[in-house]
Amino acid sequence: MDFLSIDVGTILFTLINTGLIFLAFKFILFKRVDEILEKRQQEVTATYQKADDALSSANADKEKYAQAISNAKEEASGIISRAEKLAQKQGDSMIAKARDEAQAVREKASRETEREKNLAKQELQGEISELAMELAQKIMEKEINPKDHERLINDFLQNLGDKP
Amino acid sequence: MSISDFLRGSPDGIDVSGPKLIASFDVFGVKINLTETVVLSWVIILAVVLLLLWLTSNMKTKNISKKQVVAEWAVLTIYGLVEDTMGKHWKKISPYIAGLFMFSILGSLISMLGLRSVTADFNVPLTWALITFVLIHSTNIRTHGLGGYLKGYAEPVPVMLPMNILSEVSTPVSMSLRHFGNIVSGMVITSLLYFALSVITKKIGIAFCTIGIPAVLSLYFDLFSGFMQAFIFIMLTMVYISNADGNAEEN
Repeated sequence: MDFLSIDVGTILFTLINTGLIFLAFKFILFKRVDEILEKRQQEVTATYQKADDALSSANADKEKYAQAISNAKEEASGIISRAEKLAQKQGDSMIAKARDEAQAVREKASRETEREKNLAKQELQGEISELAMELAQKIMEKEINPKDHERLINDFLQNLGDKP
Repeated sequence: MSISDFLRGSPDGIDVSGPKLIASFDVFGVKINLTETVVLSWVIILAVVLLLLWLTSNMKTKNISKKQVVAEWAVLTIYGLVEDTMGKHWKKISPYIAGLFMFSILGSLISMLGLRSVTADFNVPLTWALITFVLIHSTNIRTHGLGGYLKGYAEPVPVMLPMNILSEVSTPVSMSLRHFGNIVSGMVITSLLYFALSVITKKIGIAFCTIGIPAVLSLYFDLFSGFMQAFIFIMLTMVYISNADGNAEEN
């Protein structure tokens, strides 16, 4: 062939060859890469969507938990205050009971003391009067009319009994 | 060997000739030649198809392989180039631009394998320039209407009509001759240089010139020039079509 010539055959073949190269690039490289880029774009969008969903659900959970915690706090403070009241009441009743019991014990003790005292007094009275009688008998035997003496002594004892 | 032999070319030295004729058909009285250029184009097409199939095989959306990175980078780069020079509405032409670029580069670089450059056959860049020519005028008619298109030849003043026609015709001629001339001159210079260096080697008996120097020059005339001409050709194609486009985005 000539060094510089226009050849219809070569032009036609080159036209076809250029078309083939174009088709190869269009349907192999560009189509496949476009598809993969599109797919990746979709995946990225889906991932972002998922992330947004996860974030909003996490925020909702957070709100829920905050609510639950504040509820729990209220409940706890309610329980504590109720427990405090109960304890107060129980303590009060226990103190009152203890006081009553102490009162009863004291009264009983006081009654006992009184009784003991009276008993002792009566015993003493009896003993003293006996002693006095013996004494009076002895005195009577010696000097005076026992009747007068007994009266005197009884008077004396009566007075004595009045003044504890 | 004398200088005149050197310039004339000698049968055992310089081989600067047209593509070899491989077969010839007679289709309806028209002689169709199957030349070296066409056969080498088929080799290039086969290589491109295999390369693209390999690059795009087993593509994934995550944990992508290196070849997929290359494939995506190539596609996005061409998209970016086309959108920058022609606007977003010309995105569909990207595969043609990429194919033309690849065809031109490989057509020029095939000389590095010791074969004849496909683009050193004037018919090849001429065909591409004619495709660009058709695209320019079809775009012009499509966007301006036939009336607007024809009116464009009489602007800015009707007396410019011959000049405008000449300008339109010269576009494919200049494009194809530029590409052809650069590649073929590289080819001629490289051939002459190899020949001259081999003569020098024969004369002095030491092969210092044939190692190294041809490689550096081949780097410029084959690799750099091949790449530059391919780039210039696609850029001019895009710019001319974009200029003819009445819907071009103003930027």
